[in-house]
Formats: sequence, structure tokens, C-alpha cells
Amino acid sequence: MTLLFCLSLPAVGGTQELLAGGPDDERKSGTYLQTGVAHGQGDLFSPNSLTQWDVALFGTDYDFVSGKLEFESYFSDTFLQLSGFSVGYRKDGLRRAESGHMFSGSLFRDFDVKLFAVKVGAGVEWGLPSLNFDQTEFVFSDDGIVRYRHTYMHRNADIPFLGTATDGVVYPFVEVSIVQRPWFLLFEIGIRVGSTRFNFDDFEVDPTDQLSQEFHHQRILVPYLFADVGIRLF
Amino acid sequence: MKNDNDNSPWDSAHGARHSSLYVRASHKLMSSPRLLVWVPLILLFSSCSSDRTLSPISPSDVLSDSSLAGDVLEQWSPYVGIHLTGEALNAYRDAVLTLRAAGQLDGVRVELGRSLSPSDPTYRAISATGVELLGLISNEHLFLPNIEQEIDRIFRAFPEIRHFQIGNEVTTILPSTGPTLTIEQYMTIFLRIYDHVQSRHPGRAILLTQSTVGSGFHGPTELAAMVNLGLTRVDPSHVIIAINMYDLDYAGQFVGLLGGQLRRFRLWVTESGTRDQSRHMTWVRDQYPRLRNLVRAERVYWYVMWGGDSGSDTDFSLIKNPSLFPDYWKSPLFELLTATR
Repeated sequence: MTLLFCLSLPAVGGTQELLAGGPDDERKSGTYLQTGVAHGQGDLFSPNSLTQWDVALFGTDYDFVSGKLEFESYFSDTFLQLSGFSVGYRKDGLRRAESGHMFSGSLFRDFDVKLFAVKVGAGVEWGLPSLNFDQTEFVFSDDGIVRYRHTYMHRNADIPFLGTATDGVVYPFVEVSIVQRPWFLLFEIGIRVGSTRFNFDDFEVDPTDQLSQEFHHQRILVPYLFADVGIRLF
Repeated sequence: MKNDNDNSPWDSAHGARHSSLYVRASHKLMSSPRLLVWVPLILLFSSCSSDRTLSPISPSDVLSDSSLAGDVLEQWSPYVGIHLTGEALNAYRDAVLTLRAAGQLDGVRVELGRSLSPSDPTYRAISATGVELLGLISNEHLFLPNIEQEIDRIFRAFPEIRHFQIGNEVTTILPSTGPTLTIEQYMTIFLRIYDHVQSRHPGRAILLTQSTVGSGFHGPTELAAMVNLGLTRVDPSHVIIAINMYDLDYAGQFVGLLGGQLRRFRLWVTESGTRDQSRHMTWVRDQYPRLRNLVRAERVYWYVMWGGDSGSDTDFSLIKNPSLFPDYWKSPLFELLTATR
């Protein structure tokens, strides 16, 4: 992310020149192939949880880097107040292949503020979520009582041709970013926030197997910071 | 916590020191725009390998690495599977008592075959150690026409056992040369046993389902089939879900079931481990917490105390060559668990 963020800096100056000087003043249409990285972290067990963006970069419950690949298309003119659409793939947690495969589709509107464009979008993510979101805290007492809380992203979708019928998730997200599109390139940094249901299941089992349970759930905002670079395909 | 990010994304000092380098690099990259796409993509997909972070650890490594030892002891679940066989009687008794004395063994899983007598010396020796027993009612029982009568007999014969598992890997472990079971047939039998136990022996026993096989999609999809065949009509206070888990790449497939139709059920992992004895410790350190996190496993039974009863020694074993008692071989994991702290 640092690298891509820094890569985008020299391009900003070049773009300003283009925007001020000539035919590139107008927003360009085009379809871009973008790739980039994202970073997400949060504290599911904290009372504040993810509903408040935790600015502490360390000491959190989940923390991962993601890789992204997107196709983003900018209309030549606004259509129903929209500037374009995007479809993409994000791999959350690069060290594990079996999970963290998220596909997305979104619609966006961009606003030219001279130095750059501000892009606001919303869409849906669907896929196999990262297992970093699944956590269980156990307490084994000396008196033989076992207590645990299982926290996990609620599975509400099927991934066809794979495993069980409830192995996937689908949830909405919103996204805000700043975009530069000099020449045939695109640079973008921003934040995407998914709104996801998490379940919190509490169990208590005594030595005689007496079972007590309490379940609740909460819709939690899961933020990702991202930085993308792209090239115009057509 | 899994932290895939080795560097702070906001290391501004680092960024400033190399800013000129980044400028040059960015110009170079912009002159070759395809690199902007392909280099990150190659890096992305080359890094997406399955979890293969386990590394071999020698016995001396373990005993000298206090951090690893501490992690293993912290993650260990004090449950082990034991194959009942007379030739290992003395070694079993010694191993169980040693683990018990170290506080590292609370329960064992033993198979109750049709020919097993409650007075079997090996069974009695293990039972006499005070360890909690999980009785695996072997697959061969499931073919008996009057399974209810057989359950009555087993309950009478083994009054000290409260947890009974009804079969193990029933659709995958039975030899094709003999009678086999489908999951539909198994669930019919399981529900018959459940109904019988609740009506004739209320409060006598907690039943465990058969363990689905522990690798690939087969286990999760078979458990989903069991749900569709009526598993959820049983009382979660009286039934525990059991799975065997040797390949955690697929453990995430259970999460949807455990958060959905099986949300109210407890889960035990009745077999887990690795064939490579040099990786026993790292298996416990790395995979046991994943089992707890992903499938909320209350217990993980290590497979196995000794797996050489049906042939050559297997490297899953915590001990080998039990006939050499008292000089039988002990695995590095066993040595670690029983080391005086």
C-alpha cells in the first residue's frame, strides 16, 4: 500500500497539468483494468468493535492485506446520475488460498474537484470470506466449566460448485475514494466499508454436560483502505 | 491473530527516504504500463498458496525452545484416541498415568468393538486411571438388526462411560468387500438410537454423531446431508457433533453449518494430528487454535496414542514399540507434554 501510495504521488502533478491545459479538462470515458492492495483491520471483541474505525494500527483482532483486481468503466456522460460501474475481485489474507475470495459489483458517481476526482460508490460483495473473521475465545475453568464465545461472519449465501450451501456471504458496501486518470493510467486511493452481519454465540457447558447458550448478532461496519493503479483498456 | 502485513503502511520516514527512488521507479513503470498490472498480479497469485507453514521440529529443538514449548502446552487439548490392544497394555497404562500426572490428559476415546468385553484388561487398565472415556460404538454394531438391544447391552456393560459416539467415518472407512453404509442409512440408525436412548435411558448418555472424514469437501457436505436427513430434530443438549479433521483448508466449510442449522450444537474434533512426528508440536501449536477458532471445537482428540496395532508403527503415534515397555519409544510431543515443568 505504501508503495502504491507513493507511486501515485508523482502522477498527481502530471495530471494537474493535463487537467488545466487542454482537452483532458473533460472527464474521460473508458474502461480500466485496475490492480491494487487493500488493508483491513479491526477488533471484533472490543466493545467499540468495528462500528467505530479503530485508528490504532496494532493490537487488533484481525488484520490483513488484500490484493485486488477490478474492471472499472467510466461513462462518457452521466447516466441516471451515475458515472460508471465496476466489477472486481479481492483476495483477503494473501497467505491462505482456501478463503478470502470476494467478488464485487458497484455503481459510482465521480465529482471533479480540479486537483482530482472524488468518487462515491455503492455495491455488493459476495464470496468466501476470510477466516480471519472467525474467532472463538475459550475459558476452561478449574471447576470443569467450559465457556466460549464464537464470533463469525454470518454466512448467508451459497458458493456454487463448492462445499456446503451456506459457505458464502453477500453484503452491501459503500466506497469513497479520490481518483486521478492521467493519460491512459488511473490512480485511486480510498476506503470501502462493508456492512456485514456478525454472530456472537455464547456457550457454557458444565461438567455434567448441562448446556447454556445465548446468541446475538450485530451488523458491523468492516472498513478497508485501498490503493489501486490501472490502465485504460479501451 | 493473523497479521499478513509485515510493514506499517504509514511509515512516512521510510517513504521520504525513498521518495526519489519511487519517482524514478514510477516513471519507469509508467513507460511499461503492462507491468503495473502484471507484477502485482503475479505477486498476488504466487503468494496465494495453501497454508503450509508447519515446519519440522526435532526433539532437541522443542526442549530447547521454551517459546515453542509454551505455545504447544498452551494449545494442547488433553484428549487422545487409544486403540485397545493387549500388546500395549503396560505401555498404555504407563503413558496414560504419565500424561495424567503431568496434567495433560483428561479423556481418551476408545473403540467399543463387538468383541470387547468390559473386563478386557487393557480397557480396565485405562479406565482405572480415572481418565474420562468417550466410547466409540464401532461401525460393525450399526448393521445389527436390533440396534436398540445392543445399545442396552453396551450401556449395562460400560456404566462408567457417559459419552458414546455412534460410528466413525461410516461412509468412507468400511471396506468395500464387506457391508457398507450410506449416510441416509446411517442417519436412520442414528435417529433410532437417539430415540431409544431418550425414551429408555433418559439422562444416561450424551451421544456423538459419527465423525465425518476430515479432509476435502466430503466432510462438510456429508454433515450438511446429515442435517437434511433429520439431525436438527434431536436435542442439542443430548447430542454433540463430531468431526475428524486432518486438513484444515476445508474447515471453513463447516462455519456456515455451525452458524446456521447446527448453531445450537456443541462440536468435538474426535481425531486430528499429522503423520509426520517431527511436526506434531507445530500441528498442536498452529492447527489446534484454528480448530477452536473455526469450528469452536471444545475438545480435540489427538490421533493416536499408538497406531501400530494393525501393522507397522504409524508416525501419528505418541508412543511406539509398546512391547518394549518400559523402554518404549515416546514422541517429541509426548516428551514435551510429560516434561517436568
